[in-house]
Amino acid sequence: MASRVSLKSKGKAGKGSKGSEEKSIAQCLKEWSTWTMKKAKVVTHYGFIPLVIIIGMNSEPKPQIYQLLSPV
Amino acid sequence: MAGLVPPGTTTIPADASKTAHTKHEEKTDYMNLPCPIPYEEIHREALMSLKPETFEGLRFDFTKGLNQKFSLSHSVFMGPTEIPSQSAETIKIPTAHYEFGANFIDPSLMLIGRVLTDGRLNARVKWDLTDNLTVKANAQLTNEPHMSHGMVNFDYKGKDYRSQLQMGNGALFGASYIQSVTQHLSLGGEVFWAGQHRKSGIGYAARYDTDKMVATGQVASTGMVALSYVQKVSEKVSLASDLMYNYMSRDVTASVGYDYILRQCRLRGKIDSNGCTAAYLEERLNMGLNFVLSAEIDHRKKDYKFGFGLTVG
Repeated sequence: MASRVSLKSKGKAGKGSKGSEEKSIAQCLKEWSTWTMKKAKVVTHYGFIPLVIIIGMNSEPKPQIYQLLSPV
Repeated sequence: MAGLVPPGTTTIPADASKTAHTKHEEKTDYMNLPCPIPYEEIHREALMSLKPETFEGLRFDFTKGLNQKFSLSHSVFMGPTEIPSQSAETIKIPTAHYEFGANFIDPSLMLIGRVLTDGRLNARVKWDLTDNLTVKANAQLTNEPHMSHGMVNFDYKGKDYRSQLQMGNGALFGASYIQSVTQHLSLGGEVFWAGQHRKSGIGYAARYDTDKMVATGQVASTGMVALSYVQKVSEKVSLASDLMYNYMSRDVTASVGYDYILRQCRLRGKIDSNGCTAAYLEERLNMGLNFVLSAEIDHRKKDYKFGFGLTVG
């Protein structure tokens, strides 16, 4: 941990133009998990009903495609 | 509790047990208690009688089965919807929507999805990983940002206990545990922590049920005390009563209701201390065709809601 801290301070001194932008492991993890959650939400929103339909159409006995749309 | 009957203490002689005794007292085997009801369903019988899903307007549901496990549903609703308002008046705006749903129901996997015309998705998944472990997930997703909710539950069912772990968005965590203590009595507790609102709470519940009656009580640190009692008067009739008390806001509501399950119809009604009466009738007109009538009259707020509908399939 000590070496990591010293590397960070060296980096800070070197790239002064970056300002105080410090990326710790916790922040990285939080950003990645937020990004994953956002993508998962979009995937679920568009893909859940098609997923249920695909699983249903492949279950035994297999229904026909026209049965999806006809009201009988 | 006044109604508490001590567990049977008489043992049956060997020959008498073979005669036709439909009800007999058995020595309670504390190692073989039945599995209790899940914690969130502890008020199930009282809720079924006292809180029917009343609605206002027209409702038409059509469910089409494609095979034993898979079905599609189409639902149309037209009527005023209440929007939450700060003042004491109820504000209703007329809405109409069409909802498409797909259901896949298998003994070990259940997937239910409903999507509305404005893009809102309601998804429920229940997956039995093993005999004892079940994963349930529930999500309401909308197109508006920050208005979507999701929750995952992990349930473990033991021999005479059930435990559940819950995680939801907005850093919501909960856990609950319920244990059968005697043949008829089960006790349970729950804790939850809501990160977004920085609230946490703990609650306890008890349920005593026999063939003829169910009595439940629940206390929570959010200030809620709920007691209910349901008596099954006969095969077709049950009566229920319920008391809800919030000791933080000093708010009390008591309600009494009935539930008639007859051959062709099911009629539920209730009246409560807020001056609100409700009734819900489901009539079976024909095989697969149900007619629904719903009424909720709130005399205090002068809010009258009447609805009718047809359910096919």
